[in-house]
Amino acid sequence: MKITLRWLREFVETDLDARALADRLTNAGIGVEQITPVVEGLTGVVVGEIEAVERDLGVSAAGHVNRLVRVALPGRHLSVVCGAPNAEPGVRAAFAPPGARLPGLGEVKAAKIRGVVSEGILCSEKELGLSDDHRGLLVLPPEAPLGADVATYLGLDDWILDIEITPNRPDALSVVGVAREVAALTGAPFRFPKVQVVESEAEAATLAALDIQATDLCPRFCARVITGLTVKPSPPWLAQRLRAVGLRPINNLVDVTNYIMWELGQPLHAFDLDALAQHTVVVRRARPGERIKTLDGQERAVPPDTALVCDPERAVGIGGVMGGADSEVTDSTTGVLLEAAYWDPGSIRRTSRALGLSTDAAYRFERGGDIEAPPDVLARAAQLMAELGGGTVARGLLDAYAEPRPHRRISLRPARIERVVGACPPRAEAVRILQALGFAVDDSAEDLQVVVPSFRRDVHQEDDLVEEVVRIWGYDQIPLTLAGGGEIMPVKRPSGLRVARVMSRALNAAGLFECVSWSFLDPERLKRMGWDDPAALIALQNPSSVERSVLRPSLLPGLLEVLAINASRQMPDARLFEVGNVFAPHRDEDGDRPAHEELRLGLVLTGLRAARAWFAGSRDRVDVHDAKGLAELALHAAGLTDAATADWPADRVPAFLEPGRGARLVRGALELGWFGEVALAAREVFDLPGPVFAAELSVSALAGLPAPGVKYEPLPRFPAVQRDLAIVVGSEVTAGAIEAAIRAMRLGLLTRITLFDVYTGGQVGPGRRSLAWSLTFQAPDRTLTDAEVNRLHERIVAEIAGRFGAEVRGA
Amino acid sequence: MAADPRVQEVLDRALAEVAGARSTSDLEQVRVRVLGRSGQLTTLLRSLGSVPAAERPKIGEQTNRAKAAVEAAIAARLEALRGEEHRRTLEGARPDLTLPGRRPFPGAVHPLTRVTEEIIEVFEGLGFSVAEGPEVESDYYNFAALNFPPDHPARDMQDTFHIGPDTLLRTHTSPVQIRTMKAQPPPVRIICLGKVYRRDILDATHSPMFHQVEGLAVDRHITMADLKATLQLFAREMFGPRSTVRFRPSFFPFTEPSAEVDVRCFKCGGDGCRFCKDSGWLEILGSGMVHPNVLRNVGYDPEEVTGWAFGMGIDRIALLKYEIDDIRLFFDNDLRFLQQFAGLPGR
Repeated sequence: MKITLRWLREFVETDLDARALADRLTNAGIGVEQITPVVEGLTGVVVGEIEAVERDLGVSAAGHVNRLVRVALPGRHLSVVCGAPNAEPGVRAAFAPPGARLPGLGEVKAAKIRGVVSEGILCSEKELGLSDDHRGLLVLPPEAPLGADVATYLGLDDWILDIEITPNRPDALSVVGVAREVAALTGAPFRFPKVQVVESEAEAATLAALDIQATDLCPRFCARVITGLTVKPSPPWLAQRLRAVGLRPINNLVDVTNYIMWELGQPLHAFDLDALAQHTVVVRRARPGERIKTLDGQERAVPPDTALVCDPERAVGIGGVMGGADSEVTDSTTGVLLEAAYWDPGSIRRTSRALGLSTDAAYRFERGGDIEAPPDVLARAAQLMAELGGGTVARGLLDAYAEPRPHRRISLRPARIERVVGACPPRAEAVRILQALGFAVDDSAEDLQVVVPSFRRDVHQEDDLVEEVVRIWGYDQIPLTLAGGGEIMPVKRPSGLRVARVMSRALNAAGLFECVSWSFLDPERLKRMGWDDPAALIALQNPSSVERSVLRPSLLPGLLEVLAINASRQMPDARLFEVGNVFAPHRDEDGDRPAHEELRLGLVLTGLRAARAWFAGSRDRVDVHDAKGLAELALHAAGLTDAATADWPADRVPAFLEPGRGARLVRGALELGWFGEVALAAREVFDLPGPVFAAELSVSALAGLPAPGVKYEPLPRFPAVQRDLAIVVGSEVTAGAIEAAIRAMRLGLLTRITLFDVYTGGQVGPGRRSLAWSLTFQAPDRTLTDAEVNRLHERIVAEIAGRFGAEVRGA
Repeated sequence: MAADPRVQEVLDRALAEVAGARSTSDLEQVRVRVLGRSGQLTTLLRSLGSVPAAERPKIGEQTNRAKAAVEAAIAARLEALRGEEHRRTLEGARPDLTLPGRRPFPGAVHPLTRVTEEIIEVFEGLGFSVAEGPEVESDYYNFAALNFPPDHPARDMQDTFHIGPDTLLRTHTSPVQIRTMKAQPPPVRIICLGKVYRRDILDATHSPMFHQVEGLAVDRHITMADLKATLQLFAREMFGPRSTVRFRPSFFPFTEPSAEVDVRCFKCGGDGCRFCKDSGWLEILGSGMVHPNVLRNVGYDPEEVTGWAFGMGIDRIALLKYEIDDIRLFFDNDLRFLQQFAGLPGR
């Protein structure tokens, strides 16, 4: 919200300049975002009068008819070229003679235009830097003193403060509201605007009537009647003030409503009295399917439970949000019913959101108006309207206020301030602050008895008063202490985070980069990857786009998206991982958590295995064994060294992996995750050209395991014997099956089996594969003899030859 | 006493050959020729039988001395030759010490993780535990329990992604505070962290998904003065020992009094620059004393205990700390960006 410094100073005397004032306000919670001069670089512009049009100079390139006019200043006459259509003899306007400065144009100099010398510029609003309006001269009233400085005359030597008001402080959404804060901060007296209305003999009650039916939505509705008005442009000072705070001047009657709203914070609406059937205002709930054409020319269907301002025949406005087009003030309006009301904040917010219509009025009412403000506000507005429109204010206020609300009373223990804040201003200062902010304070007992004014709906309880006192006193008065003497508590970290951290570090060291990808994904892409059951996914009701509308069921799609981004930026080789939650619908075990969330670690690999280097196999590309190996490394880091590879049940193989090129990682019945080659179809969703290998592990599952303890085993005291076992088997026989068969023999003296060579090619023939293990034999209590080891080795050879048709090479 | 000419001759020739040996194998040949089983000195000793008995001890002794002299010469020569040969071997394959070292190339932690770890480290040092909660939350935990009235514009401060009538993506990590307090009696000293979501349009400074850290301390004698000191300390750990913070009154439904906390701009030192939009201050977090309604909502007695809380955007801290000008870089995961954060946190 913008206000100007001069406007503010009408209600509080302060010598502080704009910058100092902004700092004080900001430090009291009224955040001043920006301070700007109303106009910058405007000097020497004066009130001039067009005496005569001397001659036409033809049409300019911009399409204006240029004319040479004579401008009168006290004791001087100048010839000026002017293209404004309203440059008529007798008009007084802002004139920049040579030597004056205009914003954006700099110093004005006499210049030759179309063969004649122009001795200055007659200014539009745009040339004065007031707006973008360049349609004609800014015409000043005939009484504007000739030769007077225009900046002073229009109040342009002023500052605009752009203030951000937090949603709890609707009372500060006005010049007066800010002035009250300044008064409390500086100790200067606060002057409420004068409210003095001159009333005519005519009784308002005979000219108009109120019928408030929905008192729950509209607890108070007040109105005044003003007649005999003439609609015309507002005087320049008023129009200029509205422009300065970002409002568009319309006409004297509408401008008064905006001006007073800005000044006092109470939204007002002027109805054309003659457009109201029976001169009666009815406030009621909208009827099903009811429509209204609002001021902005839009025909709107009104949601149920909306408060409508009506006459006995039709709706004439959406209460507290926007007036209707059919009853607005027009150029021919002479009588006005001026309304100020208090609307239920929740109802205004629901209506405004349902209609997608946020107005200055709705903004204030949904934050909460001041139920006691309307009478004074109306008096001031009616008086101003009568003055500017040449009308008279009818006698009396129409006031429908069925159930006056009592003021809230709160007692404030000074000790509570100390308790919460750790410091406390002197009692007298606390009292002064509260009183300056508009609270009534009874200081006679130990505890202060405080009455909350009607405009401070945000103050409910004692700690709210604590804040009021302390924010004005100054947060910088609070000392710095560190709470001592409390209980000593162990510092804990959730096991999921601990496990994720060690796994991440291991992968970092192995050359993988951590990513953070989006939690929400494109359902279409997910469907193409095989997540085709919407019931298994969690969708947002109001996503920012459909591409980001479903919560991720896996880290894989997001990581593939990252690969795609990098591939499109000339980085086809990437090894990445991410740790994050994946989402599924609520299960019983989730308790009061609305969804099932699982912390996972995902990794993706594509392209070269390692960064190119003089010592590296620079052409080696990643394969599925890298994905498995890195998954195993991460599991190992988490303390799990006995993961096994398992197939999926035939009907459960994930569609995002190539068939037969991926497997589960399990430990007993515990699912740890999977690894594999990403299916071509899934890869194509992201336009990834080369093979991609991936793995995903459940950090949650690992975090659920007891922490792996370490227990020392005595070192062997007797030497080990190594024997190599090299066999050739059919390619369909897996290394895992052979190892499992050997282990199943339960040879106590066989302490380690290490696969050290895998070979396919010419020497072993098609369809066959050579595998070689190093077998370690060792006894805890003696040195093994060759004969013993030979016997064991032969048994192993016999076993796998028999089971797998293995042929032993060079035993 | 002059040596026997035969011994002397053998000795002289042997020493000359030792001196002339060009390699350890030359030297070995010399050794075998002179000292071997059928070497010259050995042969000489064996031929003592033909020497008059009176001279035998003398020649024997001379021969043994000669043998020792040759052995010593061989040993000395051997050491010299080995050194020479070792030097020659090394010189033949001199390494280019400017070649990049043979090593694995580590990846990097994401900058957001890096900052998160630093923040955790500061608060763990102050005795805070880390707490977590779900990202999909109920309206109750995200808003109602935190003193957001229904249909109140305060909810506009956090434009929400909805999932169901009562289910949403959490807009802040504050629900974790509620869950933690409901699960344990005071005292509480936690930080909660994780992803949060607000319905903002993605641009250089806004993201619909970002990360938060919140702190909460509830105990018998906690005041706003403690909050100030804690956050001052945090700012110094995070942004340098000369950092100062400023507390401005503000509004959050769940704290009373509430404060916005700014840190003195560390780019310009407070003079005003592009970084701090000429204000001299960088807004980094919101904070305040836990609202009595919130304490009541979790079953605590606001007359018994008080508490403070703060919350900040990790992404914003990372933007400031690393002088990153576009939040989207965090979620693009461009490798050239990620590579700039090599090295593990803690350095």
